[in-house]
Amino acid sequence: MQRPAVAWIEAHTENYFHDGGAAVRALELARANYPLSLHGVGLGLGSAEGLDRDHLARIKRAIDRFEPALVSEHACWGRAGGEFFNDLLPLPYTDEAVKLLATQVSQAQDFLGRRLLIENVSAYVAFANSQLDEWDFLAAVARESGCGLLLDVNNVFVSSRNLGLDARAFIAGLPRESVGEIHLAGHARSASGVLIDDHGSAVCEEVWELYRLALARFGALPTLIEWDTAIPELSRLVEESHRADAILQERHGIAA
Amino acid sequence: MASLLDQQRAFAAALRDRDGMSTAAGVAPVVNLDVYRHNSDWQFRNALGLSFPVVRRRVGDDYFRELATEYRRRFPSRSGDLHWVGRDFAGFLAAHLEGSDYAWLADLATLEWARELASVAETRSAIGAEALAGFAPEDLEQLVFTFQPSLQLGASVFPVVSVWLANQVENAPPVSQSVGPEAYMVHVRHDSVETTMLEPPLHAYLSALKAGARLAEAMSTADLDEAALLAALQFMFSRGMVCAIYSENR
Repeated sequence: MQRPAVAWIEAHTENYFHDGGAAVRALELARANYPLSLHGVGLGLGSAEGLDRDHLARIKRAIDRFEPALVSEHACWGRAGGEFFNDLLPLPYTDEAVKLLATQVSQAQDFLGRRLLIENVSAYVAFANSQLDEWDFLAAVARESGCGLLLDVNNVFVSSRNLGLDARAFIAGLPRESVGEIHLAGHARSASGVLIDDHGSAVCEEVWELYRLALARFGALPTLIEWDTAIPELSRLVEESHRADAILQERHGIAA
Repeated sequence: MASLLDQQRAFAAALRDRDGMSTAAGVAPVVNLDVYRHNSDWQFRNALGLSFPVVRRRVGDDYFRELATEYRRRFPSRSGDLHWVGRDFAGFLAAHLEGSDYAWLADLATLEWARELASVAETRSAIGAEALAGFAPEDLEQLVFTFQPSLQLGASVFPVVSVWLANQVENAPPVSQSVGPEAYMVHVRHDSVETTMLEPPLHAYLSALKAGARLAEAMSTADLDEAALLAALQFMFSRGMVCAIYSENR
């Protein structure tokens, strides 16, 4: 079997909650050959209805089974009134949301027995009652909970274009010591001009430029290409990953 | 000022109901709530379509979208893990299509959900027929079997297995309902999910054993003679379906 020349892999945690099956066996095989990161999309740590303890227990089971090097979640919420929207819904950047997210991140970290990386999400709306810039919000959550941050550069770009924000100020505003991983991805443009974080195409040049800026600020960090819709041939995906490697090597002399 | 909880509930209400798109969620631009509506709809529908590929193929994308929308309204996602959104779909279809010419779709969905359950079940070590030699002849009638967790059994008054098999390709011709009732089993073999049509006696026998009946009880329930029993045992062991056997004297 051919092993793609990538330094590590990342998988969506929820796809490996099961007792068995082809996906679990495939990840076991991958884990035997690569360092692994588990990236959750369903926990919704910012839900004001409280921490989803059942979901958290399943994450712990996956962590115990696959022993990932990194575990990450999102700065978002996803359920209300018992209904799950299975999406990364945005939070207002308020003191109340900082307190709630930091508290629930802390509880999750205590339960899992490890530090989480929390990712900034793409935003399509802004809240009128936001009191903080997003980077200050994330910095406060990291400070209060002790979590790290996963910087999704494409999400920064998408949110900044959709809401008229300054992507460079975002990167400059995050605490240097908190960022532990970077995501890059492609996005789509809707008929009305909204950028949609769909992970379905190559990384655009503007995002590559922001990536260079992020490396200059945060240093060499593990970098993932997210391409999980309209998935290309593996060789194309690896090629995109190698472009990130090349930029890392150009700046820091190491591979992503 | 609304609390975060109130704000999230208002946001959720706006996602559920386009006409209820109010400023209570306190967001701008309000029109972009459609992005979240679309994402959430798509995630749900896509997960449902992955669990029920043949139902989707038979009804077409447009009608599947209608079904998914109505199903989601009645059975919204109850987990951050999308894998389980289809658990009530067969029951929903049975009620939704009752009395129509498409009532058979509910049983097709039951078959596909059985495949979904099998696909994520643990695979345990199988034992062979030689394990029977470890029991005294007088104990054989009392034997109870433990099957692979992936084993699912089903039956329908419609030819759902024939429909499922025929529709592994696009644009398959319809299967005549005159083919009649069919029984089946789904299990994992050699790392892939297999769907196997069963004769009614074998289905009755396996169903009884799976429910915990002793060998003699299952044989009686299925009305198997000795030759048929031997064939049934061979069927079970050769497919790696049996994980354990024990004798139960009641």
